[in-house]
Amino acid sequence: MAKPSRSLLALSTTALALPGIAIADAPPVNSSLSYKVSNYQEDDLDRAESPFGDLGRYDIDVHQFQFISPIGRAFSLQIDANYEDLSGASPWFTTLGPNGSPIVNLSGASGIQDRRAELNVGTRYYLENGSIGGNVGYSQENDYRATYGGISGERHFNDDLTTVSIGLSYSSDDIFPTDAEIFNRVISEDKSSASAVLNISQIINQVSTFQTAFSITEQSGFLTDPYKLVDTRPDKKTQIAWSNSYRRYMRAADAAWHINYRFYHDDFGVTSHTSDMSWHQNLGSSVQIIPMLRYYTQSAANFFTNVDDFTSPATNFQSSDYRLSAFGAISGALTLKTTFGNWDATLTGERYLANEKYSAFNVSQPSTALVRYVRVSLGLDYSF
Amino acid sequence: MLAACTQVRPWERGLLAKEEMAWRTDALESALNDHIFFSKEASSGGSSAAGGGCGCN
Repeated sequence: MAKPSRSLLALSTTALALPGIAIADAPPVNSSLSYKVSNYQEDDLDRAESPFGDLGRYDIDVHQFQFISPIGRAFSLQIDANYEDLSGASPWFTTLGPNGSPIVNLSGASGIQDRRAELNVGTRYYLENGSIGGNVGYSQENDYRATYGGISGERHFNDDLTTVSIGLSYSSDDIFPTDAEIFNRVISEDKSSASAVLNISQIINQVSTFQTAFSITEQSGFLTDPYKLVDTRPDKKTQIAWSNSYRRYMRAADAAWHINYRFYHDDFGVTSHTSDMSWHQNLGSSVQIIPMLRYYTQSAANFFTNVDDFTSPATNFQSSDYRLSAFGAISGALTLKTTFGNWDATLTGERYLANEKYSAFNVSQPSTALVRYVRVSLGLDYSF
Repeated sequence: MLAACTQVRPWERGLLAKEEMAWRTDALESALNDHIFFSKEASSGGSSAAGGGCGCN
């Protein structure tokens, strides 16, 4: 049998319109408008973790908007806008408690009030064997501003069974902490971040696909947390990450199985493993239920200390930020999705628990105040 | 990996085209999770280049 012509292949691949898989050399068929509202609530600290002051932590509301539309026959436009409203308190410094364990002191009686707004605009140009695109974005908070941009390109090979994509991005950030003079914080600092990613996707057979990706990020500038009483970090950080994803459609169950794994390492000394699985179960043609389970574990940064050393010279690297400690985290989520006409609605509930006992790495200095939270999200999508 | 894969012709990729087989079935959910985990854990990066930063203290 003669091999199908390239134009016939293009027509049939466009008709199949594989979302996110190798064949993406055509703009989306429909426009879509999406909105998601989420509430994220951290558990209060235990009194044993913080003997003095308030115990309440962060409470955050997030609004996300996305608009995607084809533009002509070869372009697409994507606009993302986000708004966050956060209040609460975060760890300020740690000391040794009366029983010899570290205790944390949260930031101030009045806590933190902050709002973040972000806008990101991107476009994509579709060619016969791939596409190229770019985006620019801006994010503004009471004490932080980021301007960023990126370009990416992908090409299909091997009868469109294989896709290779490359992405580059750069972000320039300004930091101007609130109440800087009152609390002797830095007045104004900046940092930058540049990253590159190489991604290879492969169709394995009629029901399964695999993707592997490698990214490298270089950060430089002010990387210290200005809201910690004692915190000094290097002014450069190199991060690498290797991600792998597998998708398999289970015919008998009419469900899809997702599994992802990521290895991460940086030159602050943190190494981590992230693994998550989800099962996308169809219940008829308009309802889907999606349970998800995630496990995360990281080692401590080289300069992490679970009790702040106020006698150490300010030029010595140290931080009691729990995010730089050795710990593990387990999270589970359940999503209910329903389709009605041109509308999709999703409802998601998630519970996240971090604990040094869950760590796969050695924990020589367990951090107090590891975070636990509940997150609930409601999403709506409209295609037209 | 390429040698072990079967030849799947375009008209045989219908199951792969299902929405539940996408790398990211809910873009806003993925973006939200990336943002939350970035602010609560030391790791970031993976399958896409980094976007904008945040204070996230």
